[in-house]
Amino acid sequence: MDTTVPQRFVVPIGPQHPALKEPGHFEFTVDGEQVTGASVRLGYAHRGIEKATEGRNWVQNLYLLERICGICSHVHATAYCLGVEKLAGVTPPPRAQAIRVLVAELERIHSHLLWLGVAAHEAGFDTLFMYSWRDRETVMDILEALTGNRVNYSANLLGGVKFDLTSELTDKIYKGLELLEERTYQYVDVVTSDATLLQRTRGVGVTTREQAEQLGLVGPTARASGVERDIRVEAPYAAYPDFPVKVVTATAGDLEARFVVRLQELFEAYRLIRAVLEKLPPGELQARMPRKIKPAETVSRVEAPRGELFYFIKSNGTDQPERIKVRTPTLCNLASVCVLAVGSQLADVPMILAGVDPCFSCNDRMVTVYSGDTDHTQWTWKQLRQYGIDYYRR
Amino acid sequence: MNAIQDLLTLMFFPGGLFVLALGMSYEWIDRKLMARVQNRVGPRWFQPYADIAKLLVKEEVIPADSNRLLFIALPILALAGALTAALYVPLAGFDPLYSFKGDLIVTLYLLSLLTVCTGLAGANTTDRFSLVGATRTLTQLFSYEAPFLLAMLGPAVAARSWQINEIIADADGQWLLIVQPVGFVVALIGLLGKLEIAPFNAPEAETEIVAGALTEYSGRGLALFRLGRHVELVVGLTMVAAFYMGGVSGLPLFVLKTLLLLLILVGIQSLVARLRIDQTVGLWWRWGTLLVLAQWLALVIWEGVQA
Amino acid sequence: MDTQEALKSAEALLTGYASTRSEENRLDGTLAPENLCAVVSNLVAARWGYLMAITGLDQVTLGQLEILYHFGAGAAILTLRIPLPRIPIPSVDSICPIIPYANVYERELGEMFGVEFRNSPNTDRLFLPDDWRSAVYPLRKDAVLNEE
Repeated sequence: MDTTVPQRFVVPIGPQHPALKEPGHFEFTVDGEQVTGASVRLGYAHRGIEKATEGRNWVQNLYLLERICGICSHVHATAYCLGVEKLAGVTPPPRAQAIRVLVAELERIHSHLLWLGVAAHEAGFDTLFMYSWRDRETVMDILEALTGNRVNYSANLLGGVKFDLTSELTDKIYKGLELLEERTYQYVDVVTSDATLLQRTRGVGVTTREQAEQLGLVGPTARASGVERDIRVEAPYAAYPDFPVKVVTATAGDLEARFVVRLQELFEAYRLIRAVLEKLPPGELQARMPRKIKPAETVSRVEAPRGELFYFIKSNGTDQPERIKVRTPTLCNLASVCVLAVGSQLADVPMILAGVDPCFSCNDRMVTVYSGDTDHTQWTWKQLRQYGIDYYRR
Repeated sequence: MNAIQDLLTLMFFPGGLFVLALGMSYEWIDRKLMARVQNRVGPRWFQPYADIAKLLVKEEVIPADSNRLLFIALPILALAGALTAALYVPLAGFDPLYSFKGDLIVTLYLLSLLTVCTGLAGANTTDRFSLVGATRTLTQLFSYEAPFLLAMLGPAVAARSWQINEIIADADGQWLLIVQPVGFVVALIGLLGKLEIAPFNAPEAETEIVAGALTEYSGRGLALFRLGRHVELVVGLTMVAAFYMGGVSGLPLFVLKTLLLLLILVGIQSLVARLRIDQTVGLWWRWGTLLVLAQWLALVIWEGVQA
Repeated sequence: MDTQEALKSAEALLTGYASTRSEENRLDGTLAPENLCAVVSNLVAARWGYLMAITGLDQVTLGQLEILYHFGAGAAILTLRIPLPRIPIPSVDSICPIIPYANVYERELGEMFGVEFRNSPNTDRLFLPDDWRSAVYPLRKDAVLNEE
């Protein structure tokens, strides 16, 4: 064993680590089980999307931007469409706007159930993880029946949506919602009463209202601390003016509150979906869009499952954008992890991390792949294996 | 002739290979039940065998910074400890292969050998996850070991013997869990701690420290550690069933009683979240130890009054 | 707070600087870099919304690099525009002393556009790889990305 013990004992979490299914790199300095320092490094899932948008036309970008994230793809496309439609002065038909809301809320259900499972897994509660992911299949099936895809639904078009609702689909959604609603009651019961889970969530990672505002938290993470910040209410977009949302907040600011807020938002999503299905406005699905857009700029904000998603879009009179800036909710929330982690137990860190529902592919989106210098040729499997052996026998 | 017979008993039946097979079967039952509870299909019956076979043929990477001798020897020692412990318990309903005065204590410490080896194996590498895992493994060992030991000594005190088969004979088919419920519960939960399964799986919490102390192990070493764990599962179940559930004479009774216990273990395992290591220690020293000590005291006084 | 009221109070906070209504819910204020911290302090002191994002705009034809600080209060959006010369490396005061969480946005902008933030507590790379060539700022329009 190495005799020189480093002064600072650093536990790396990521880029490859079982706590994070996506690559981010955190370094936690620990003293025993106590965390005394934290730093974050991102960018392991860079795809250079912001740069890439500048070389594609408006329609192509829709599909590119939808692929920023596999979980909340619809909100990215919605934010982009709403922004571009505003630039072009096009108003999409009300039926299309309502369907956008419908898909957005279905996506929120899928995202929150996914998070519930991940967070339960971080707490070592694998049974809850398995159950919530099983139930998530219900909403995935609905999304597949609606759009043909389980993820990256491509529901949006510039100026409208791609598909219409039939009565069979409506029935399927109603049925699915009934099942999910019943299950969600059970989950609320579990996360607020299971003794072992509460030991890991109650009073852990507490963010006060002041802290939440200072750290610039958004979405359910902020709402769990009592900050009423929800773009669907503050600046209603798409069909949200017709289908108002009730903001769910909690005051405790700990992990339990984050569980409860996300689960209560599920009930709100079920209610909204039912409302949309009942009062779906008739009419067209798409408005005509011009190919080129005169020079202008706009800001488009939507409420993603994880919080406020910000798009800044600037056009330059051609069929390509001048600049598209994407600020995802995870970036706002991630910075808080480093602050909250300091002083907590190492065992709680994955929970705190999962508590903000980080989405790294959302976050890492803006760098072009670096081709590197040429003598770094591709390695064959044999070379790689030999390198590994040499490295360890060194 | 006798030597050959001894060798056969040790190597194949009912020691050695038979114990290993039994351990893997119980591991499969554990995993299958767990999966069914969690609404999954679960592995097929040969999965633990396949896992071990795969691990055994895989290349073993020895980290440069660790002591090679220890790295190789620790898994062997761990498995040897577990296998030796199996010789002193009434496995599969047979009488213990070997027996002497005080074999209870020896068996209990042989069972702990596995945990100690796991901890040392983690401390032997410079990997951070291993080091944190090793600390947690050993911390946990110190928290459940005393109550578990006291819980196992309860029946021994009642029987006034430190010899496993005498204790079982003394109970004479009576279910001691009725008169010593605290001991039974503590022994069962202690078993969860020993096996590092939920809620006491903080030492190998995959979402925090990957595989804990065994992070650097691959191939043969990992296979041996896992085999040791499987054997410990069977031995632990056998001991609790034999002491608290009126003995395990005969194969059907053995299977019935140990499976019942396993079912309870799976139930607990699937219904709880992982405890933090400080919570584990708190639980054992604040509740487990005190309760079992209280029962022990009552037992000793009762025995004194009777005598 | 009503959107129009919010914009009015923002206009009041921006008195003395050029400001325009770019959209019905947006107010743009153009500032010289040395005034940024003072204005941001005013906004924070008046508890006007929160910082949503920092955008960089590379305007090659104008020879300038514009930094946009977006603040949001309800539906109202205030954008502080700081035009800077593209060359040499533009530099501006960090607003981290006033808004600590702005650090991630500044780090991102700094490495992507090549902007120096004075008095920033942390200017380490956030997204770009460790072996990224220095002085290559990928989101600048003239960045040469695949040069050997």
